Amino acid sequence: MPKYVPNVKYYKYPLPIHPLDNLPELVLHNPISWVFWLYSYVSSTNLLPSKVHVKFSSGKHITVADPDEMLYLWRNGFFGTAQLSRSEPTWKERTLNRLGLLESSRALEHVTEQRRLQRLEFKRERANFEAVKRELRHQGVEESEITNQERKFLQSLREQETQDQETTTTDVQFREADAELFDDNNKIVDLEVLELMPVEAMFLTFALPVLDLPAHSLARSLVGNNPSYADINDLCTKYAAYHHYRSHGWCVRSGIKFGCDFLLYKRGPPFHHAEFGIMVLNSDDSMDYTWYASSARVVGGAKKSFILCYVELLIPREEALLLWQQGKFARLFASYKMGEVMYRRWVPGKNRD
Amino acid sequence: MTSETVEKDEELSINSNVLDSDDEEDDLFKDWSSIAKLSKSQAVVPKRGDKDYEPDGTNAQELLLYRAKKAMFDSISDAARGTVVKNQIKAYYVPQCHRAFIPHPRGNFMHTMGKVDRNGTCWLTFNEFVYLAERGTITPYFKRSDRESHELDPLLSIQDLYLLFKTAQETDEFAVFAHLKRLGFIVISSQLTPKSESADIPHTDVKKGFRQGLSTLTKAIFTFFPVPTYHPLQYHLTRYTTSSQIYEALKNLVPYYAAPKTMHDLEKDKYVTKFEGDDHEFTFDVWKPRGTFKKKVPGPPDFQLLVFNKNSSDCTFPTYAEIKQRFRSVRSKYEGSLTQAHTASSPGSKEVGKAVKRLNPYIEQQRRLKRGYRSFILAVMDDGLISFVKLTESDFGSEDVWFKTSGKTSKERSGPAQPKRRNAKNSINKQIPQTPPTSKNLPAET
Repeated sequence: MPKYVPNVKYYKYPLPIHPLDNLPELVLHNPISWVFWLYSYVSSTNLLPSKVHVKFSSGKHITVADPDEMLYLWRNGFFGTAQLSRSEPTWKERTLNRLGLLESSRALEHVTEQRRLQRLEFKRERANFEAVKRELRHQGVEESEITNQERKFLQSLREQETQDQETTTTDVQFREADAELFDDNNKIVDLEVLELMPVEAMFLTFALPVLDLPAHSLARSLVGNNPSYADINDLCTKYAAYHHYRSHGWCVRSGIKFGCDFLLYKRGPPFHHAEFGIMVLNSDDSMDYTWYASSARVVGGAKKSFILCYVELLIPREEALLLWQQGKFARLFASYKMGEVMYRRWVPGKNRD
Repeated sequence: MTSETVEKDEELSINSNVLDSDDEEDDLFKDWSSIAKLSKSQAVVPKRGDKDYEPDGTNAQELLLYRAKKAMFDSISDAARGTVVKNQIKAYYVPQCHRAFIPHPRGNFMHTMGKVDRNGTCWLTFNEFVYLAERGTITPYFKRSDRESHELDPLLSIQDLYLLFKTAQETDEFAVFAHLKRLGFIVISSQLTPKSESADIPHTDVKKGFRQGLSTLTKAIFTFFPVPTYHPLQYHLTRYTTSSQIYEALKNLVPYYAAPKTMHDLEKDKYVTKFEGDDHEFTFDVWKPRGTFKKKVPGPPDFQLLVFNKNSSDCTFPTYAEIKQRFRSVRSKYEGSLTQAHTASSPGSKEVGKAVKRLNPYIEQQRRLKRGYRSFILAVMDDGLISFVKLTESDFGSEDVWFKTSGKTSKERSGPAQPKRRNAKNSINKQIPQTPPTSKNLPAET
C-alpha cells in the first residue's frame, strides 16, 4: 500500500514531546566532536518552542483551535478528536475538496466513503444476480450451470471493480450555505476545533509539558473548587488507567464507539485496528452480569479483546482528596493500582479439541 | 449406504454446507467462497452477506430441506431404545448422604464417574446419579433405610429425582454438569478431585522472602514518588534522546498487579493463599474428552469452573479481589506463556516451550497480551440458560509496546530490529485467526 510510506513520516513520533534525535555524531577519537556534541546536547531541549493553547469552550469542552496545533497533537500521538471530522482534523481539506478548490484528496473519510459506495454497488449487483439465479432455478436449470453463471458474474464484477478504481471521479458540490464559509479575502474559514478528553488534557499537561494550562487549574475547571471524593473518583481512576496504558506505549483513544472506556491501538489508528477494548472499573465494583455480557459482546463483535481494568485505591479516600486539593497529582495517581482481567465468552464446543 | 453416497455427491454440487449444523459461531465458509475456489481465478472474491437460504420457492431448495429433515428424523427414529433387563443397572439413592450407590457396577461411565469402595460398590454423586438416570444408563431407586434388601425400594421417576435437589444452587450446578457431560467433557466436582500435592516449598523461607519482597517493592514504589519526572523543572534538567526514554520516565508512575510468570512465582502466589486460608474451591474441574483419563490420577484439569446464578441475590459477579483470589487457587493447566525457566521445569509443556523459543519477541509479546495468564471459567445461569465466560489474568503493565523508531541515536538498540518488526507485524496479523462473520446460511432444519 502506498499509504504506508507517508504514515511513517507523518507519525514519526509517538508523543508530542520529541526526543533529541538530531544530535551530531559523537566520534570517540575526535575531542572536537565531544565539545560540539556537548554543546548541542546542552543547548537543545525536549520542550516545545511554545505550548499548545487550549481553552474551555462552552463549559467543559477542552479545545484546541489553532490548525497547526490541532494537527500537531494528532500527528504526535493521536490526541483529541476534531469536532467536524471522524478524528483527524480534515474538515477544511474535505470542504476544499468538495468545492473543487484542492487537487488531491487523501482524507480517511474519503477512502471510507469510496469503499462504502463500492460495497453498496456490489450488494445491488448481487441482489440482481440472486433474482436471476432464482429465475434459473424456477426454469429447472442444472445446479452446475447456475454455478457456472455465478462464476461468470463474479468475474465480471471484479473486472468492473478494477476499472472503477482507475476512474475515480470527483464531483464538485456547491451549496448555498457554502458562501458563508469564505472570509473577506475569499479564503475559507477554519471552523473546526480539536477537542481533548479530560484525561488526554491531563496527560498533556501533567505528564508532558504540552498544554499551556497548568494541571491544577485544569483539575479545578473539571470538577470545581471543592469537590468531594466521589466527584474526583471517576476522573482519577480513568486518568490512572489512561496514564498506565499510554506510558507503556499504547495509543489510547476513547472507546465510546464500542461501548467501553478506552481502545488500545498499537502505534495508532492509521497503523492498526485497536486490539483491546478497556473498561475501567473500581476494584470493588460488581455489576449485574448483563452489563458485562453486553459490553463484551459489543467489543468482541468488533474482534477486540475485552479487558476489565480494575483500579484499586491504595490510600484512604480522604487522603486522596487531600492530595488532589494540594495539587500533588503525581502522588495521587501513583496511589492507584491497576489490575487487568480479560473477559471472553467461552464456547464449550470450541474448546473440546 | 449407496443411496447415501449418491445423495452426498449431488449435494456437493449444490452446497456442501447444508447439512452442517452447528452453533452460530461455527467457522463455516460461505458458499460464495467455495464457489470462488472453483473459479480458480486470482480475483479475490468479496465475502458476501448472511442468509441466502431464505425460502425461494424452488423445488431444488425444497428437496434439500426435505432431505436434511429426513436424515435427522431417520437417525432419531431408527435407533432401538430401552434397556435389556439383563443389562439393567440399578442405582439406589441414599437420602442420608445425598448420594447413590450401584451394588453391581459395570459400564463405560465408570471411567469418568463414580467411586468404587472396598466392597466393590460404586458410589455416585448426586449429579452423576441424576445425569446417568436421565441418560437411561441406570435405573434409579430410593433406598429405604429400614430394610437391607432392595426388593421393596421404590423406583424413581426423573421428576422425582429433580425433587431431590437440595438447593437452587445445586440445580444450577447440575444443569452445567449435565450440559458439559453431554458435550463429552469429563466433569468432576472440584471438592472430590484428587489433588496432586504440589512440590513443597520451604514454607517459612518463602513466606518471609515473599513478605520482604513485597515490602521492599512497596518501599521502592514509595521512594519513587519524588523522582523529578513530574516536576516543573524536569525538562530543563533532563534531556531525552529517544522516545523510549520518555516512556521509561513516564511508566513508573502508576503501579500495577503483575501476573506471576514463572513456576516459582506461581507456587509462591499459591502459597500465599494457603497461608491466608482463603483457598476457594471451584465448582467443577473439567477435562477435555480423552481416552486416557484416570479417575485416580486425573492430572491437572483443563478448566476450572465456577457456577453462579445471575438472578440469585446471594451471588454477584466477583469483584477484583475475589477474582484475584480465584486466580490464586487455580489448579488447571497453565495456558499462558511462562518464561523459559518454567517451561524447562514442566515436561508437559516442553514442546510448547520449544516452539515459543523460536518466535520473534514481538509475536511472543502479542501472544502474552492476547492469551493472558491464569484463568477460570464462570458458568452463568439465567433461568435455565447457561453462558460461559472465561476470565483470564492479564498483565499490560509488564509489556512495553511502543514502537522504536530507527533514529540515529537509537540505531544500535533498535535499528536492526526495524525490519524484523515489520515482519512481526505481518505474521501477527496472520496469526490471529480472522473469524469469519457468523454464518447464518442456514441449515435446512430450521
